[in-house]
Amino acid sequence: MTRHLVIGGGTAGMNALRTIREEESERSEVTLVSAERPYSRMVLPYYLDRSIAESHVFTATAAVLAEWSVKTHLGRRAAALDTRAGVCTLDDGTKIAYDDCLVATGSSAVRAPVPGADGRGVHSFWTLDEARGVLAHIAPGSHVVMIGAGFIAFTILNSILALGARLTIVEIAPRILPRMIDPTGAELVEAWLRRHGVAVRTGAAVTRIEDRGPRTRLRFKGGSDILCDVVIMATGIRTNLEWLAGSGVRVNRGIVVDERLRSSVPNVYAAGDVAEGRDLVTGEPAIHAIEPTAQEHGRVAGANMAGRDATYRGSLLMNIVEVCHLDVASFGAWDDPGAEAFTAVRQERPAYRKLLWRGDRLSGALILGRSSDVWTTNDIGMLKGLVQSGSSLAAWKEHLRGNPFDVKPAFIASRTTATLLPLTLLGRAAKAPGNTPVAV
Amino acid sequence: MRVLKLTPDKCTGCLRCELACAYMQTGEFQPAKSVIRVSPFEGHTSYAPYTCPQCAEGWCMTACPVGAITITAAGAKDVLDDKCVGCKLCTIACPYGTMFYDPDTRKAFKCNLCGGAPACADACPTAAITYEEVATADWIGDFARERAARVLAAR
Repeated sequence: MTRHLVIGGGTAGMNALRTIREEESERSEVTLVSAERPYSRMVLPYYLDRSIAESHVFTATAAVLAEWSVKTHLGRRAAALDTRAGVCTLDDGTKIAYDDCLVATGSSAVRAPVPGADGRGVHSFWTLDEARGVLAHIAPGSHVVMIGAGFIAFTILNSILALGARLTIVEIAPRILPRMIDPTGAELVEAWLRRHGVAVRTGAAVTRIEDRGPRTRLRFKGGSDILCDVVIMATGIRTNLEWLAGSGVRVNRGIVVDERLRSSVPNVYAAGDVAEGRDLVTGEPAIHAIEPTAQEHGRVAGANMAGRDATYRGSLLMNIVEVCHLDVASFGAWDDPGAEAFTAVRQERPAYRKLLWRGDRLSGALILGRSSDVWTTNDIGMLKGLVQSGSSLAAWKEHLRGNPFDVKPAFIASRTTATLLPLTLLGRAAKAPGNTPVAV
Repeated sequence: MRVLKLTPDKCTGCLRCELACAYMQTGEFQPAKSVIRVSPFEGHTSYAPYTCPQCAEGWCMTACPVGAITITAAGAKDVLDDKCVGCKLCTIACPYGTMFYDPDTRKAFKCNLCGGAPACADACPTAAITYEEVATADWIGDFARERAARVLAAR
């Protein structure tokens, strides 16, 4: 019986695991090693604002894993991979022999190297444990300071406000969301935040974090101190790859994978944040540390591990975050400085569109608009479809130059639906997640 | 599987489908909450309805981090309200622009074929929307392309 080993119980690992069971022609042995019980990081903000119970975050219960006949090593981390012998050693010394394995060990939060960053009142928000820590410390009226104004910080912004806390965002860069939106969009979001009572300090370098009894004091290089109740550091993530040192698996920025999600070692696959695979739009190797890429990587790797020959066209960079009922989304090569770009702003709504081109095809897009605006939501999907399909918009390019908001007729008349309909990730219709409380 | 077949040449732009859909989906006669949308063409002289094609991949379904989108007995992809957390991942994963988000309930919603008796098809007085045993298709692309060509040429 083939022995599959999945290392990492996050999105990529769980999608792979489920796909192995969907695709295999004969029953195999599947082992899961995961430092934490499998849960979805995407939904932690909703646990933080108490709109869902903690039980809602788990993506596979023990019963479901048993139903799928998965041997589990939960609470354990992989410590070393001997690719010659086909053995993975865990942090407690357990050795697991495999025929093929998937590395899906994800990322961890990194704190800025500031004195006091490891202090009592300073939190990260990345794991479930960290989410519990933040939740325990925020009360109505608390003053929360978020250090870092990137995507992760913004995913919990609404939750913090919903808990009745006062929020200050501190960013060392000259503007917010530097890796998700351009300066024009960032300016609109910043103005919107101020309108909603959020204080924003950009270009602000924290020099020291001091424990002041129940409170915490932040000192800055220039600018007045801030005394607050809770500090959340959302200053970036780092892929969990150190443990692969000496394994022979080729690592560039991430584990270099081919179109079958295979690493330089043929029976070792990689998926999700740790994998450096093909970017759908540029064709270049890239790390897309986002949920949809982890899902697709996991499914393609799982299908190949199960004996299918599944090739992957590449992952599409995409993000969406809602900021006080304002949606901000980005697709593809939205920050390509060499691309031809059409932009349009409507300050009063506010609304913003940026379309980036490679010839007569969209290579990237930015979109900003109110969540209550159906037009925004529809355009978000259609822009994704246009970038994903690479539909020719030759007939529409001049029209869109004049009005970048008029995406819908271009989408429909370019017959993008016809291009998209035959596309599937695994060459077959996707299967429903089923009636179990399983989210994979 | 039966799907919503759209015949744009028959659409008069009366918007009854939007009203019927919004009422069925949300209990409100509010076209803004309809998941079938009628678009005007050629300066509002012709119209076409557009809705979820119930694609094979189900990009919304595979993207959902909590398994809140499933396939109903009618074959439609549908959002389970008690599982949806409102993260909007489905709205960026769906390449057709046919996922919706209700800011009041903080849930995503979409065409679920009304459990096998679509209100839009029922409400359509001209059979521009029919519920039939056919393969899903790009029903309105050619119609739109032909009309758009005239508008774009007139620029």
